[in-house]
Amino acid sequence: MAKIGVDVGGTFTDLILEIGEGANRKVFVHKVPSTPHDQSEGVVRGVLELCELGGIKPADLKLIVHGTTIATNTVLEYSGAEVGMLTTRGFRDILHMARHKRPHNFSMQFDVPWQSKPLVKRRNRIPITERILPPSGEIVAPLAENEVREAATLLKSRGVEAVIVCFLFSFLNNAHEKRAKAILKEMLPGLYVEASHEVVDVIREYERFSTTAMNAFVGPRVGRYLKRLESALRAKGIGAQIRVMQSNGGVTTLENAAEHAVTILMSGPAGGVIGGRWCGRMSGESNAITVDIGGTSADISVIPEGRLRVMNPRDTQVNGYPVLAPMLDIDTIGAGGGSIAYMDEGGAFRVGPKSAGADPGPACYGRGGVEPTVTDAQVVLGRLDPEHFLGGGVKIDPALARKAIETQLCPKLGVSVTEAALGVIRVINSNMALSIRANSVAKGVDPRRYALMPFGGAGPLHGTALAKTVSAKEVIVPPTPGIQAAIGLLATDMQYEFTGALLTVLTKADQAALDKVNARLDELSAQASKALAADGVPASQHRFVRIAECRYVGQGFELRAEMPDGRITTETKKAVLDNFHKEHRQVYGHAFEDQDVELITLRVVARVPEEPVKWPALSSSSGSDPKEAMLYSRRTVFDDGTTHDTPRYARAKLKAGHVIDGPAIVVQTDSTTLIPPGWVANIHQSGNLHVRERG
Amino acid sequence: MAVIRNAVDPITLQVIGGALDTIAKEMGHVLYRMSYSSIIRESQDLGAGLFDKSFNTLCESDSTPMHIGSIPAYLRGIEKTLHDPWKEGDVVLHNHPYFGASHSPDIAVISPVFWEGELVGFSGNTAHHVDIGAATPGLIIDVPDVYAEGMLFKGIKLYEEGKLNKALWQFIETNTRVPSLVMGDLEAQVASARLGVRRFKELLGEYGKETVEQATRQLMDYSETMLRKRISEIPDGEYVAEGFLDDDGRTRGKPLPVKVTVRIKGDTAEVDLTGSSPQVPTAFNVPFEGSTKVACYFAFRALLLDTATTEEYVPQNEGSFRPISVIAPKGSIFNPIFPVAAEARFGQIQRIVDLIIKALSPVIPERIVAGSSATLSFAAYSGVRPSGDYWVFLEVNEGAYGGRPHSDGPDSIDELMRNTRNNPVEDLAMHLPLICDRYELRDDVSSGAGKFRGGLGVVKVQRFLGKGFMTHECDRHDDAPWGFMGGHAGAGGKVETFNASDPKKITSMPAKFSNLQTNTGDCIAIYSPNGGGYGDPLDRPAATVRDDVLDGFCTRDYARDAYGVVLTDKLELDEVATAARRKEMRKSAA
Repeated sequence: MAKIGVDVGGTFTDLILEIGEGANRKVFVHKVPSTPHDQSEGVVRGVLELCELGGIKPADLKLIVHGTTIATNTVLEYSGAEVGMLTTRGFRDILHMARHKRPHNFSMQFDVPWQSKPLVKRRNRIPITERILPPSGEIVAPLAENEVREAATLLKSRGVEAVIVCFLFSFLNNAHEKRAKAILKEMLPGLYVEASHEVVDVIREYERFSTTAMNAFVGPRVGRYLKRLESALRAKGIGAQIRVMQSNGGVTTLENAAEHAVTILMSGPAGGVIGGRWCGRMSGESNAITVDIGGTSADISVIPEGRLRVMNPRDTQVNGYPVLAPMLDIDTIGAGGGSIAYMDEGGAFRVGPKSAGADPGPACYGRGGVEPTVTDAQVVLGRLDPEHFLGGGVKIDPALARKAIETQLCPKLGVSVTEAALGVIRVINSNMALSIRANSVAKGVDPRRYALMPFGGAGPLHGTALAKTVSAKEVIVPPTPGIQAAIGLLATDMQYEFTGALLTVLTKADQAALDKVNARLDELSAQASKALAADGVPASQHRFVRIAECRYVGQGFELRAEMPDGRITTETKKAVLDNFHKEHRQVYGHAFEDQDVELITLRVVARVPEEPVKWPALSSSSGSDPKEAMLYSRRTVFDDGTTHDTPRYARAKLKAGHVIDGPAIVVQTDSTTLIPPGWVANIHQSGNLHVRERG
Repeated sequence: MAVIRNAVDPITLQVIGGALDTIAKEMGHVLYRMSYSSIIRESQDLGAGLFDKSFNTLCESDSTPMHIGSIPAYLRGIEKTLHDPWKEGDVVLHNHPYFGASHSPDIAVISPVFWEGELVGFSGNTAHHVDIGAATPGLIIDVPDVYAEGMLFKGIKLYEEGKLNKALWQFIETNTRVPSLVMGDLEAQVASARLGVRRFKELLGEYGKETVEQATRQLMDYSETMLRKRISEIPDGEYVAEGFLDDDGRTRGKPLPVKVTVRIKGDTAEVDLTGSSPQVPTAFNVPFEGSTKVACYFAFRALLLDTATTEEYVPQNEGSFRPISVIAPKGSIFNPIFPVAAEARFGQIQRIVDLIIKALSPVIPERIVAGSSATLSFAAYSGVRPSGDYWVFLEVNEGAYGGRPHSDGPDSIDELMRNTRNNPVEDLAMHLPLICDRYELRDDVSSGAGKFRGGLGVVKVQRFLGKGFMTHECDRHDDAPWGFMGGHAGAGGKVETFNASDPKKITSMPAKFSNLQTNTGDCIAIYSPNGGGYGDPLDRPAATVRDDVLDGFCTRDYARDAYGVVLTDKLELDEVATAARRKEMRKSAA
């Protein structure tokens, strides 16, 4: 079995290839420059080159898993489809008003993205006479079909690429949405047409409409890209199945990704988190905090007991637009290697979120950047050696790094170059540690029971400092920190998620009410089975997780409670309630166990387990001394301000059982790991590096 | 930066500043996510933060501007009224408008923070409660005095040394119309305050009391420095703007003047409200400490440290209040004398902010916004369910901004001192005997034309499904938002009632009314004011005006009349006719 994971980033496209069966599997990794004008070019090139590296014919590939930023970029660049919308008369501007909260409290000149860059222009939002009333879903005004037809004609004349149907209360009764869609399909053949209850069948009009609009906005471009990619690969004789990573960490088919493009908006960062979980499992560690540090930002995620955390649907948004699609809970902050350090006019010392980016990049790149960055600070402290930086691929000049800090920071801080550089590192680490705490301690997770997993090229330089600040039990550095997201693509399951709104007070529900829940669950499971069968997955492999999104009666935010298998009865509903109270206590530190609990949304997640990639085990060393991996020693400054002659070790030559005592630095093509004095690194057979404070 | 003895270094300062900010966020998050009433959980009508023992704000959650900066006044009020000394584990309730409260429905929940046996500060929050047993459900306008506002708490301990005062709890439960919401919300407030105490102590444990206290002083100095720098860029002088409020909610047809004088001197600003209306006999007065002053602080912060244009994050703390002083004569609408009621105060403070902006507009035209709605439509819908329980729903209807130096005024959005979220139409209708029949941009009148147009307000129609009551707190039907530099004025708001069975038979209502009795099918239509324009409408590109017409932001006639843009029957731009018309309009203007 030969399979490839290919993750497209802003600068590089990372690839991993696994070939062979069972214990005889082999792994190859590769990096090619990304091709932003058409990501598929870089992908195809990378795939072909990697096949050659692995000594296989492209035709032998069985599976390609793809992480892509195409959907996200479509939003960021505001380059999606011209969309038309049919909506309930009297409610034309739900998308324009959003939740009527502005993005800034203290501002007069703020932008309102959903008004200045609407997903559907007001002229294309066409009110239609129809009315469905709660709570029963009765029709009090029938659908004005003539208005639907007139709207279709108008939108056609305007040349829209997609039309959505968004009616109020369609979660109670979708008859009008269905009928309007049928008319549109008939009149506008070939156009993308979608109804809100099909995209996401939940209560709350703005979020449902916005998600539907987003799907139509990004869908056509994503569809075209995926088609282009598929035919380019097929043209090279590659018949492999192609899968796409979704924001929830599961992979899906090309067809489904194109149809539900909102589910792949966070495709990229999801791969890294999955890669983090995979890396922990190799060392038998299921509690992980992943920190993916790139050039301008850091992605932070917490994985308790191997469970990927999904963000509360009330928090999922992309560039200010809410999107009700399951996304892994990842916190992105403006802290990376390119983050700029400066003193502002009020005398505050800042590091990020201003970033030198990839161009001009840090001062030490010598490409015209003069402002000191985090990378420059690392260089000044002697932690990044020019000959090993990105495998020697990018030239760095320590003198420029030094000059930037000396001229820009030292006079204002009144300290030496080394002290200023240490200050830069301390502030950036503090920013990241605050985010880790906000995502762990603040959510009832105790970091002392967690391993911190730093990756991304710059991650392992910060790992130990972060672990110490947040009191994580140890640091685990993956075998290839620079391509973690690509690895994640070969370490996850097929996943489908189906949602349905069903409001009922669970605590008071009798068996008849619960049977409505059961019926809805069965419907959702049947949809999931159908999707899996269409992908050729035999029924025996289907696995379902069922979730009830609940809240206390009167509250407005739901939390997820897992449901037991089988028919829900007045007996088994207790398990759902218990799970809900437990979740509420975990998240808010408090539960109201005597209060009524209301079910709002049902969710069925279908998974098909896939065999994850296997990293080749390291050969065992004869002793613990890694002398054969030792390169040279150089002066290096550590966070405590001490300077040491610090040996460098080549990661590629380390063997299982080796022990490295800090101070030390481990170098590899795509990353550098810092091991401070008082810390010790054990090389695990899996290829992971375990770094711990001694004693 | 001046060198301070024993100063905390800039690096540690940044670390502690970040930690404080995170604590405030977490406190706010717990409060609104846990709470029951839509006014707190959806609207986020709340504030939370940490304070030092001299009541300086150390950090505050980024929720609703009105609450930010109001808690220190509560703390000073508590100090005057607390019945016995602070003890560890205490939780105090306070909402008295004559002892620092912003207004009585905003109940503060405060816990002291002790470190090594010594009082070092406070953790607390304020949140708007749906009903505190006032004369009318939810909101009040036409009432005789402060006692009609409902339950008043003056430094009352809900918990004494960690022990719940069950009698007090039961008393509150008995005296609100909606105990199921209010008690749940109070629990959320207590949880948030306790979380703050815990986090504050962790911070002290990590960095030491001396360092944290010194760092917080420096952070306040920093915010102060940043604001003073911006104030000093404004030429010294006295700047005046005037407007008026519709009425006091009882005496119709008698407008109430509002006069704002801003005196800039060096790096300080004084806001003088002398010349504004005397206090009124209804609840339409503004508590001075907890609301009037807070509005003035807000205006300068939002104008001069605009977070959209200021790259640096300036922490929310006491420092940004220091350069601002506020004068409002005793006995005026902005500084009423006990025992007059002072609950319905939001429209007035929005006007303070709006008029501060107007006063300063000639000297900082690049930072301002033309006249915004600068009001609040606060609607209290209520009724009694068949079970005998009350239902009370408070709804905030949004306004719009005026045009701006480089962009149109945002439409249909919470403006200035408020920043709440609306309630999903679908969610409400599943739980209340009330249904929304219309919710979209206003299309009965245009917004102020301008190079950058004013924002459009909203129209919302709610229909009662049974008998009920309604009180509406609002203003600005009569004094339309102002245009700037040739921009046209916006439009005032309006309220209409009718029954669904005869929608043509419309009754026009004043902005404020109390305890309207409603029947099945009665509808209330609320229209919020449209913003004023910024700059000459003739300078708005003709293609943009055409887009406005296509999008229905204005009509074809309005495009011709106000913008001089002529469109053909097919809505194509008639360039020749447009050029001619614009030339003619310029000539007649000159």
